[in-house]
Amino acid sequence: MLAVRQTLAALGVAALCVAASAPAAQETLEAQRAAAAEPVDTSAFRRDPPYRIGVSAGYLSNSWVVFALQHIRWEASLHPISEIIVTDAAFNPAKQIADIEDLMQREIDLLIYWPVDDRAIEDTLSRVVERGVATVQAGGGFNDHPGTITSAYISQWELGEMVARRLMEDLGGQGRIIAMLPIAGTTAAVDQLAALEHVLQEFPDIDLASVEYGDWNRARAKQITENLLQRFPRIDGVFSPAGQMSIGVAEAFDEAGRLDEVTMSPGDEYNGWLKWVAQHGQGGAVTFPPRAGQVAMQAAMRILAGEPVTRGIQVPSEFIPPDEIGAHVAMDRPDDWWATALPDAFLPN
Amino acid sequence: MRVALSPAGRLRRPLPAVSGAAAIWALVLLAAVVAALLLPAFRSPENLANLARQSAVLGLIALGQTFVIAAGLIDLSVGVIAGLVVVLACALMQGDPGAMVWVSAAMLALGAGIGTVNGLLLNLLRLNPLILTFGMLSVLQGAIFTFTDRSVGRPSPQLSALANGSVMGVPHSLILLLAVAAALHVLLTRARFGHHLLAAGGQPEAARRAGVNVERVRLAALALAGFCAAAGGLVLAGRLGTGFPLAGAGLELDSIVAVVLGGALLAGGRASVIGTLGGVLALAMLSNVLNLMGVSSFVQTFVKGAVVVAAVILAQARRGGQA
Amino acid sequence: MSVPPLAETLAGVLARHTAMVMLLAIFLAAVMVSDAFLDPRYLGNVLRQAAPLGIAAIGVTCVMILGGVDLSVGAVISLTAVVCAVAMNGQPEALWPAVALACAVGLGVGLVNGVLIAVTRVSPFILTLGTGIAVVGLAQIYSGGTARGIVSPGFREALNLRLGGWMPVLALGFLGLAALGYAVQRWSVFGRQLFLIGANPRAATLAGLPVRRVTIAAYALSGLFGALAGVALLARSGVSGSLSGQGMEFQVLAAVVLGGTTFDGGRGGIPGTVAGVLVLVIAFNLVNISGLSFHVQLILMGAIIVLASALYGRLGRAGA
Repeated sequence: MLAVRQTLAALGVAALCVAASAPAAQETLEAQRAAAAEPVDTSAFRRDPPYRIGVSAGYLSNSWVVFALQHIRWEASLHPISEIIVTDAAFNPAKQIADIEDLMQREIDLLIYWPVDDRAIEDTLSRVVERGVATVQAGGGFNDHPGTITSAYISQWELGEMVARRLMEDLGGQGRIIAMLPIAGTTAAVDQLAALEHVLQEFPDIDLASVEYGDWNRARAKQITENLLQRFPRIDGVFSPAGQMSIGVAEAFDEAGRLDEVTMSPGDEYNGWLKWVAQHGQGGAVTFPPRAGQVAMQAAMRILAGEPVTRGIQVPSEFIPPDEIGAHVAMDRPDDWWATALPDAFLPN
Repeated sequence: MRVALSPAGRLRRPLPAVSGAAAIWALVLLAAVVAALLLPAFRSPENLANLARQSAVLGLIALGQTFVIAAGLIDLSVGVIAGLVVVLACALMQGDPGAMVWVSAAMLALGAGIGTVNGLLLNLLRLNPLILTFGMLSVLQGAIFTFTDRSVGRPSPQLSALANGSVMGVPHSLILLLAVAAALHVLLTRARFGHHLLAAGGQPEAARRAGVNVERVRLAALALAGFCAAAGGLVLAGRLGTGFPLAGAGLELDSIVAVVLGGALLAGGRASVIGTLGGVLALAMLSNVLNLMGVSSFVQTFVKGAVVVAAVILAQARRGGQA
Repeated sequence: MSVPPLAETLAGVLARHTAMVMLLAIFLAAVMVSDAFLDPRYLGNVLRQAAPLGIAAIGVTCVMILGGVDLSVGAVISLTAVVCAVAMNGQPEALWPAVALACAVGLGVGLVNGVLIAVTRVSPFILTLGTGIAVVGLAQIYSGGTARGIVSPGFREALNLRLGGWMPVLALGFLGLAALGYAVQRWSVFGRQLFLIGANPRAATLAGLPVRRVTIAAYALSGLFGALAGVALLARSGVSGSLSGQGMEFQVLAAVVLGGTTFDGGRGGIPGTVAGVLVLVIAFNLVNISGLSFHVQLILMGAIIVLASALYGRLGRAGA
């Protein structure tokens, strides 16, 4: 039937996309760590205070980046910074190029950014560096391109691996699981899936029934899960490192009356997810820290002082078990919030 | 430009209606002068060159849209055509300078081809152009994603040079844009095709009686729009340096806004290439100036919407209510 | 020129039945792919998913019968969802005032649209495009980028409660609003005026119909239903982002057109729109449940819209 052929074709394309990227197995991880540890000579970027910092946000439309930006501002308040200029590319890479050009016109001393798409702005960043302005990436994956001086990066692969191992432990190494990933093609989605598959090699009794892309959207994750629940009469576990989507997934199970059959993997420290963990006592969190913004700003200050930095500064993820969630959840705050150490003056809105 | 018909139904030379184009350019120049006085960063030659480069892609796409709106139609698929070209061009070129000519030619043909398909379906199925081109947008965007879900390939270095380089301070892409605009301006105002197009858009029944093949003219307009969108896509590929699957998203709506800001009537029959360029520049300046002023992006979005509303109402008021 | 008869034209009747036929066809296709579509609980889910889209589409149908269009509805949904959540602030007693506030905001945007279009007679396409962009900016300014607000306890539970074990209250609300809309369309003076003005604006003006007032009312209604859709979205998915309605205006447009209401105005109606909404939502879920990638949904949606519109076009000419 046509549907079957279409399904196979779609699966084939999807497999190609995943296989073609096939990044970060253990060896690549070691290579990445080694590359990140390389020191960078920043004497060319040294400037005198006060500093004007440009922040080119690839997008400002989700709460994580809003928190990361607040961390940047918080750290900036501790240093002689005269101005922080923020531009928002709203997920449009051509606009991000234009934004960076406009920021350069404002004669910034340093550029902090997070990309819509790494490759689209590579050339623009190289031009920025050539003009003696350092660039610091905040919160994405490790970037070894010459246009980026240093990255305050979060390893999605390590995050994914921690989540997967925890799920395997909770499941006792067997059962049928589904994976809920963010926007297809992003570093997060690619690396998380690679880490999961790497871990699954050690657990042959696990059946990865379906890999879905919920686009970091709670409603979409819920809708997809509702359909998965129809396709599979029993699902034992869910691999979902993004707490925002995990809530949607869990809700779908709950409304179908099948919450008892499933084990949720840890999510991140999205407040709505933390509330769910506090309520249900399972899952936990592997953090995806918005304080990457703070780390980026700290690196920026060292660069502006001419001090050496390494090519990559990892912002590590930590595991918070369900029984310790209480210290991190903020029950009186909205769901769309992140566990944070930000002082009140710098909390969003 | 309105096309006047003599009582016998023959088409006379079109009356120039410069008012729409003149209005937007007056506004743009006034804003530019104010910005130059108040913002030193704005008036630097480098910023002006940036501004030109930032306008080139939308400019090319909007030029094609001008013809479509002149014909009384609307084309929502131009953005995704540009996006498709970005992905395919980068995937096929893979950074090879030798691939520049044949891939570019193929992409332009592809754009014209998709536009032709739009036109054929429009004439065959007698659909509303909004619905047809929206359907085409969905199908093509889905097709792009099925081909790839992440950035692929790299454009030939000539495209990067075209999109980012300049000669004596004047960006290459600006020269290209002005050249294309000049040619299309002549086509719209002096050539018989242009007269027929405006007639078909403004008064289709009268045009038919005067012997204009309205269906063929509409098809040509859509094919031209596809061609221009592909040209815009090539420049965009050069600018991005990679085949980003969502590259063209949103450009179709911006192109319609630019054409309408330029004095065109959405109902058809009145449009101006010069006006469209003014509209494109207005949109680019909005983003550029507000960025230079450090205005928050959220406020920028609001301002953009308010400007569109205000401009469109003012244009209507100037027209004295004749629809 | 003579004014067309009060009742819908023959073409309109045929078009309405076409929507039902389409719905039946896609439902049968869906059932062949998965018997989930025969499970009342799953159908309840589908109806609930359709609710925000459907409620917004009811309002836009009125505007389109008039011959206009409302592209700002997605932005209104985003804004009202956040406004409602913030006003609720987790307090049970704030529930109804918050919903009322959201409705007021939607109504306000609709009034702005309606007044500007009625008075200046500017193109609704470009005007509502502009107001939509401005409202998106407002939503972002108001929320600061994070989806603020905490839903009142019991709000989501009440609306997601399944009556008889399968029909969610939210879905019932959608159908109820659709019925209300149909009643207005079919039996009220306002409804008749919408059709008359949409079919022939010039004749309607000459005949002394209050064109301006009806226009303003239609757009205000669209804004109000947009707000209700925002509240429905909040109920279905909780506080999940500050731009939750992004892109919905085109899905709404597709659903309305699928249902037989055209851009020309003067024909169509709400039952067709409901069918159109269901066709779209079933198609989406069909793709999902058969394991195909989300991108196939886009292709399918585009194809369905084009084919269905072509069909209506033929019928329209045949019946005219």
